[in-house]
Amino acid sequence: MKIFITDGGSESFFTAVFDAYREPECVITSCEDVQISFGCEIVRVSADEEKSARVRRGIENCDREGVRDILLVLRSGDSLKEMIAFDYIKRLMESKSPISKAYNTPEVIIFNELKQKVTGEVHKMTGFLRFMESESGAFYAPYSPDHDITELLMPHFAKRFREEKFVIHDTRRKLAGIYDGSDWVLGYAGEAEIYLSEYEKTFQTLWKKYYKAVNIKERPHDKQMRGYMPARYWKFLPEKSAD
Amino acid sequence: MIDERKLEILTESAKYDVSCSSSGSRRANKKGGLGNASVGGICHSFTPDGRCISLLKILMSNECIYDCEYCPNRRSADVPRARLTPEEICELVINFYKRNYIEGLFLSSAVFDSPDKTMELLCETVVKLRKLYNFNGYIHLKGIPHADGALVMRAAKLADRMSYNIELPSEKSLKLLAPQKSRQSLLLPMKSLKDAMDYDRINKVKRGRVLPAGQTTQMIIGASPESDGQILKLTEALYRQMNLKRVYFSSYIPVVKSDKLPAVGAGLLREHRLYQADWLIRFYGFDVDEICGEGENLSPDYDPKCAWALRNMNLFPVEINTAPLAALLRVPGIGAKSAYKICEARKFGPLDFDNLAKMRIVLKRAKHFITCKGKFYGSESLAQVKTALMIEGAQERAEQLNMFSDYSTSLSVLTGEI
Repeated sequence: MKIFITDGGSESFFTAVFDAYREPECVITSCEDVQISFGCEIVRVSADEEKSARVRRGIENCDREGVRDILLVLRSGDSLKEMIAFDYIKRLMESKSPISKAYNTPEVIIFNELKQKVTGEVHKMTGFLRFMESESGAFYAPYSPDHDITELLMPHFAKRFREEKFVIHDTRRKLAGIYDGSDWVLGYAGEAEIYLSEYEKTFQTLWKKYYKAVNIKERPHDKQMRGYMPARYWKFLPEKSAD
Repeated sequence: MIDERKLEILTESAKYDVSCSSSGSRRANKKGGLGNASVGGICHSFTPDGRCISLLKILMSNECIYDCEYCPNRRSADVPRARLTPEEICELVINFYKRNYIEGLFLSSAVFDSPDKTMELLCETVVKLRKLYNFNGYIHLKGIPHADGALVMRAAKLADRMSYNIELPSEKSLKLLAPQKSRQSLLLPMKSLKDAMDYDRINKVKRGRVLPAGQTTQMIIGASPESDGQILKLTEALYRQMNLKRVYFSSYIPVVKSDKLPAVGAGLLREHRLYQADWLIRFYGFDVDEICGEGENLSPDYDPKCAWALRNMNLFPVEINTAPLAALLRVPGIGAKSAYKICEARKFGPLDFDNLAKMRIVLKRAKHFITCKGKFYGSESLAQVKTALMIEGAQERAEQLNMFSDYSTSLSVLTGEI
């Protein structure tokens, strides 16, 4: 059996799909530490523009939104994302028309679930991201999302904050989106050292007071709170951190 | 800078308002501006009671000239009082917004000095936010009854949503419990706002539309003797005649001692059932008359769709693969999303019971009312179906009660503002 290892990028993935398409049994993954059993053949795939373009065209001929959906799924933190996308592509090619609403097809169910997790986290983060004001007046928001969504969040905040300079920092992937008040870019960012503005702590404290006061403590429903706002996100929320 | 203690008092007083939604508006940001509205609404945090924080929900003041029987801020109550200036509110909103704590402002107030004076300062706050701070985030403003119509209209041109709480389900109860407010003082401004929105729609006004996210209202359930049927009739009329986006219910909790108020609370199950009925009216194509007769109450044992289905067993079972969307929507246990998914999925081939389960459609209730490829998986006799659904309902209720286990010990009444 062949194991196609991509570099994690989408071009490399589409190239792998091209190479793997006629293989009777194979795996596509971007995981380096994949378990190799006896008789496996490792194929390292580097992006090939022509092959990648042909796969994209093939997908677009079946479903104009197919490529967009697949790119979303490839942002997932799930280690099986390439296989789930690959199985979906094969199904799509068989049907020759959109399958995203074939809600009873196993490949579609799992693909849609993964896509939903990515877009769901984007939506959640439009709410849960927390900015702090730095000494220079720029706003800084560190977070550690499950999926690679910084690029998807940037347009939302660029529209919203328009005149403000800000940075969204995915500390897990060491990736930052930087907006300078007119355009945004993505780049590598390791550790960040931030000097807070004079009033930053004051507003954090006011926010914590508000959070406490608006709660109806006679009606506790911890389970529901955790369901909507999972504890893994709390690390970056001032209202959930101790003083 | 705003005083912490003031913020606490005015948040505590506002928190019993049910509405928190920031949806319905597409307001865009402008050059030099801060913020925009997201049409689906965004939740920014969740409190330990399981509710979402979307807007900064505060009162401008809790000093009230009115003495509404059920209200913790009524004139005769002995509670700490506070007032904020428009400037203090603006500063808080802008700084919370820039940190992405909130989606915007939900501003309400007790009636201090006079209705006009209160409305004037609420209006001034909104004007300042929009014009001085160039703030384009979401603003929900409470209307003050008896306030000058021109002031209200000025605010409505800048806010995304406004709400007048009709407070109680009948004129009679309003007279008894909130004698300083009349139904007219609540319905007339609601009607003028509706007319202004109609005008914008008819004339295809694009810029500066009045209340792009419409109007909502709220009423207290169980403080007065109206039946569920009456409440739902009123709700339906408000949707149809006033074009409201939402009608909120809040169940009465006996905290304020008064011989005009019942000694026991309405219970949250009743509120829950009313919301279920409200959804059936808005999204499932039901008329009130089908769900609940004028003088009747909703069944505590079953959800209103179940209760309707049990009275109309001659319409069931429906075949999943052929039933039109409208019929699927009427199957107990099948929600709007599931009904839509079924309609889409069956275009790719017939669905059996297993398919539905894999599509994550909950079949515990639905199985008694459907067939899949002609096969029936529910209980045969009506008595069995009723028993099964009753047990389901009891479990659901247990969860509800658990959710609000200590509500009877609540120190405050449901509605903290006018």
